[in-house]
Amino acid sequence: MTDTLSVETASIPKVKRRKAVDWDGYLFIAPYLALFLLMIVTPLLIGVWLSFTKGDLFGVERFVGFENFARLAGDPIFREVVWNTLYFVVLTVPTLTILGLALALALNFQTRWAAVLRTIFFSSTVLSVTVVTLVWRLVFLPDGGLLGEISEALGQTPVAWLNDPQLAMPAIAITTIWWCLGLPMVLYLAALQQVPRELYEAAALDGAGRWRTLWSITLPAVRRTTMIVIVIEIILQFQLFGQPQLMTLGGPNNATRPIVLFIYETGWRQWELGYAAAAAQVLFAMIMVAAMAQYFVSSRKEEA
Amino acid sequence: MRRAFLFLLLVIAACTPSDERTELRIQRFFGACDADYGGRTDIAAAEGECGIMTSIINAFEAENPDIRVNRNVVFWPGYDQLTAQLAANDAPDLVTMHGSVISDYQARDLLLPLGDAMAEQGINTADFTDAARRAVEIDGQLWGLPIDTWAPLWHINMNLFREAGLVEEGEPILPTNKEELFAQAEQFRQRTGKPYFVQATANEYASFTRNFYTFIYQQGSSPYTEDGRANFTTPEAAEALSLFREIYERDMTTKNQDYSASVSGFLNGQGGVYLVGTWMVGTFEQASKETGHALESGYTVYPYPQLYGRNVTYADGHNWVMPADPSRTPEEREAALRFLEFFAEQNVHWSRTGHLPVFQETIDSADWLALPHRENLAPLAANAQPLPKSIRRQFPIETIVGQESAAAVTGAKPVDQTLADMERRINTILDNL
Repeated sequence: MTDTLSVETASIPKVKRRKAVDWDGYLFIAPYLALFLLMIVTPLLIGVWLSFTKGDLFGVERFVGFENFARLAGDPIFREVVWNTLYFVVLTVPTLTILGLALALALNFQTRWAAVLRTIFFSSTVLSVTVVTLVWRLVFLPDGGLLGEISEALGQTPVAWLNDPQLAMPAIAITTIWWCLGLPMVLYLAALQQVPRELYEAAALDGAGRWRTLWSITLPAVRRTTMIVIVIEIILQFQLFGQPQLMTLGGPNNATRPIVLFIYETGWRQWELGYAAAAAQVLFAMIMVAAMAQYFVSSRKEEA
Repeated sequence: MRRAFLFLLLVIAACTPSDERTELRIQRFFGACDADYGGRTDIAAAEGECGIMTSIINAFEAENPDIRVNRNVVFWPGYDQLTAQLAANDAPDLVTMHGSVISDYQARDLLLPLGDAMAEQGINTADFTDAARRAVEIDGQLWGLPIDTWAPLWHINMNLFREAGLVEEGEPILPTNKEELFAQAEQFRQRTGKPYFVQATANEYASFTRNFYTFIYQQGSSPYTEDGRANFTTPEAAEALSLFREIYERDMTTKNQDYSASVSGFLNGQGGVYLVGTWMVGTFEQASKETGHALESGYTVYPYPQLYGRNVTYADGHNWVMPADPSRTPEEREAALRFLEFFAEQNVHWSRTGHLPVFQETIDSADWLALPHRENLAPLAANAQPLPKSIRRQFPIETIVGQESAAAVTGAKPVDQTLADMERRINTILDNL
């Protein structure tokens, strides 16, 4: 009996002891993780800390708790810049998404002209904001600008796009759409090229028209890309800064001052770093909420 | 291989001649023009702010072989960069700074007082004009060497003024009160078909602020109280804004022009009076010498006319300041002071830019008075009115005053609401210093 037991025991292979932590994987991600912690997480946390203090670039004066946030809530200029930013996002994000898809659909062909046009439409994206705003200021200027000259040639009074509180933000939105359209177009082109040809062939055999094919095959196929485009554009457009800084300085009458310009002016011009940091936290929260809302809405639709 | 590379590096390092000269780090605005003035040391032959400044620095380096000047030209006005440098303990030895900004840095112990050192260096600080002294003096100490005083001026197209019948014995007829201004502007429009004023009103706010402050001061009031609070809800402030609102409403000015469009507008004869600072005197004077130009033999310039009780004009100025830097060696400090002495000696050359000299002796000199239109501008040395040094953050405040004023002038906002908003916004900044 004893012998049998000992034989049985001997025949059971020893269970290899599992390592407590598999350090190999961590070693692979360590360089990026270190950079991420140093360059992203640490400044983020410092920013959060600064938003609870009063101070300038030369030092923190004192801890003020939620005072900066309370001041922001009662600051009519900040409320105005929040509205301006939301208005700009509403003007640009849906337009960029729809136009990006439309362009991708129009240029999704393997012809030389389609390739040339794709390059042309994407080329504006590589320009710097300085060049883009310089070009568009020359377009919008009523006195000698392109639109002004056209208006005069047609016998109309030139419109002062950048000097009119109602038109200045749409003018900046037009500039931005022209500048940023390349990215959504390219993302949609990539997505369209992933749609299986067989689906279109089957639809054609079933007698589906162009609209039916677009609605029932193309759009569902690029749904995930649409979500990515919208989230990326929300994050980008909430951070509007260079265009109003260079085209309108936030005017006329604060009509084009976005949150990032407010943060810059408050932190660097007025030397109120704590107050600027608090505004930055509000912007961070707004971007997070908008991007997450879009994500959840899209995910639910997909599940349904 | 690695050893060979290190050896090569050592050989290269050993071959490089060591520079024993003291390094002087000068940081300035006024633009870059090395293509034209990079190697030039003839200050008298230089033109324009950038050309004269570059030539002065080149000449200083040529005359002081023991000093190597490290030049850093910043995009105007360069205060964001300077603030970042100071926060990172990377201070230059000398920096250009507006008088309106000095108190911000001085209050945070970021600048060094220079009064005694400049006097020891032989700079006659007692001869500073009143405007120049007020630009750099805080609590009885001098915190820099004034470079110039600037003020907004009435640049006049005399050819259009003649056409409008507003010239008498070769001199322009300027208004002495608001009613005369409107009457002359109407006459100008009727006879020339053009607006009396050329102004930069799009994407440019500083000129609104300069006009607003000037005409508050002219009424004997002040935009700020004795204890440093904004004081804009006054009849004088309302009058100053309403004056320009009426000019705009009655089409007595060009509209919707940005800065560059308004400059070319004046150069092309689009209006009679251009409201801009001393820095454009040289450019317009040059244009008046060109055949076929709208300003040909027809340019003059005056300080703002006195429309109300006091003859004053809001002014500011450029200055050299020395940021605090514990690592600066005595040799570097001495080099900086020698540069200031050299620069002070070139004051009459710098004043060819159109800016007002900072030494009374220069203003009284035949050399300066011989420059075009300087006799007209000389009264500014006494009439120039900067904001008090107790008002900090004048730079961002200037933007807010300008933006709010622009809203009122163009009719986007009622004058009373504008003044209340302006006062609230600025006092919020001043309350949170």
